[in-house]
Amino acid sequence: MSTNNSVMIKGNKYGIIVVLSPDEDFEVLKTQIKEKFKESSKFFENAQMAISFEGRKLTSDQEREILDIIGQNTDMRIVCVIDNDPEREELFRKTLEQRLMELSNNSGQFYKGILRSGASLEFETSVIIIGDVNHGARVVSKGNIIVLGSLKGNAFAGACGNTNSFVVALDMSPTQIRIADVIARAPDKPVKEEVKEAKIAFLEEGNIYIEPLNKSVLNDITL
Amino acid sequence: MGEVIVVTSGKGGVGKTTTTANVGTGLAMLGKKVVLIDTDIGLRNLDVVMGLENRIVYNLVDVIEGNCRIRNALIKDKRYPNLYLLPSAQTRDKNSVSPEQMKKLADELREEFDYILMDCPAGIEQGFKNAIAGADRALVVTTPEVSAVRDADRIIGLLEANDVSQIHLVVNRIRMDMVKRGDMMSSEDVCEILAIDLIGVVPDDENIVIATNQGEPLVGSDSLAGRAYMNICSRIEGEDVPFLDLNEKNGIFSKLFGKRKK
Repeated sequence: MSTNNSVMIKGNKYGIIVVLSPDEDFEVLKTQIKEKFKESSKFFENAQMAISFEGRKLTSDQEREILDIIGQNTDMRIVCVIDNDPEREELFRKTLEQRLMELSNNSGQFYKGILRSGASLEFETSVIIIGDVNHGARVVSKGNIIVLGSLKGNAFAGACGNTNSFVVALDMSPTQIRIADVIARAPDKPVKEEVKEAKIAFLEEGNIYIEPLNKSVLNDITL
Repeated sequence: MGEVIVVTSGKGGVGKTTTTANVGTGLAMLGKKVVLIDTDIGLRNLDVVMGLENRIVYNLVDVIEGNCRIRNALIKDKRYPNLYLLPSAQTRDKNSVSPEQMKKLADELREEFDYILMDCPAGIEQGFKNAIAGADRALVVTTPEVSAVRDADRIIGLLEANDVSQIHLVVNRIRMDMVKRGDMMSSEDVCEILAIDLIGVVPDDENIVIATNQGEPLVGSDSLAGRAYMNICSRIEGEDVPFLDLNEKNGIFSKLFGKRKK
């Protein structure tokens, strides 16, 4: 590999991307970076730029060293370093989402009052509504939804994609229920119910089921 | 200090204007000083129902814009000297008036009248916002139809959001024969959905159509609807009046009689 190719500078209007060879020794890279930037210091002049590194993983010390080299050899100002390590980003995203999901499932809040037509409430956590959710009203929660009253409007549980979310209502006659990305709607011909009882809507194998709240169903619930 | 009551429904054609005319007239019969305000600018008809169309000189927009004084625009009713009507303008639209101006007008009228009844236009736009601006109380009128009840629900939500604390329900045009067959919601069903206090149930009565066309409110007459309206007035006054038995018309005599008439 020719020495010239182990460091490359790519740029756009707002920033530069420094592509570093993954196999070259860091000390060698440093001298090459120094040369490259010296050559092009006229070109950059005193631009204000963002920078990001590609090609190899850098420790924060190494990053610091490179930034110092650039600072000493050019007049340009590096305003910020953009991290585009896809692995780390993915890890961050996963941990964050998982944590948020746990939070939204395991914590909840109360809302007292009737949600009338046109009302729309959104919750980051699970929610317990003490009152009715009327036709034309909407409740969205990242966790579970429990209605101590009748649910006639729309309920959307697990809004962030949590398929373990569920909806409970004392009188379950919703217009629509959504759990994660599955939508169920009310039957076109309303069914006359003999007894009104508390029911739970949950997701199983891509289908939403509505069943009376009994022990066996409760045993299957995971929080 | 008078009380401002807005009569509203959301949906059109459920009987807001008829209710305003009859409740207003009824309160005047009880000896109260009452003014009815038609806030349906551009589509006025409270004046027609009251039979006062031919007396209009100035209107609501004239008062708001300062073209005349309030007393010039108020029309004295032909039956009751303590009942007045402030008609709406027909040649303008709802945007001619703002909620602040309506509130100011209502506050001025409060000084002189016991009850100020606002007849609200259908819908939830500017006209509705104008009508509820100064209201202390609301009468929400609905018929026992799903669509009217949905709209009433939305309206109640908006009234609550606008701090109208006392909201009462009038179920209009109920037909007991249909309720019995299970083809129509009962007033209890409507009440359960909307979860507010019921202040009156008015039966579907052809006398209302006749009275409306003649410009004579039928409140106080012996008809079932007339008595139902009178009871609403008494309840507004704070009396505890039992609800009418709306079934009485279906007695065997009236059934036979009704059939022979046809």
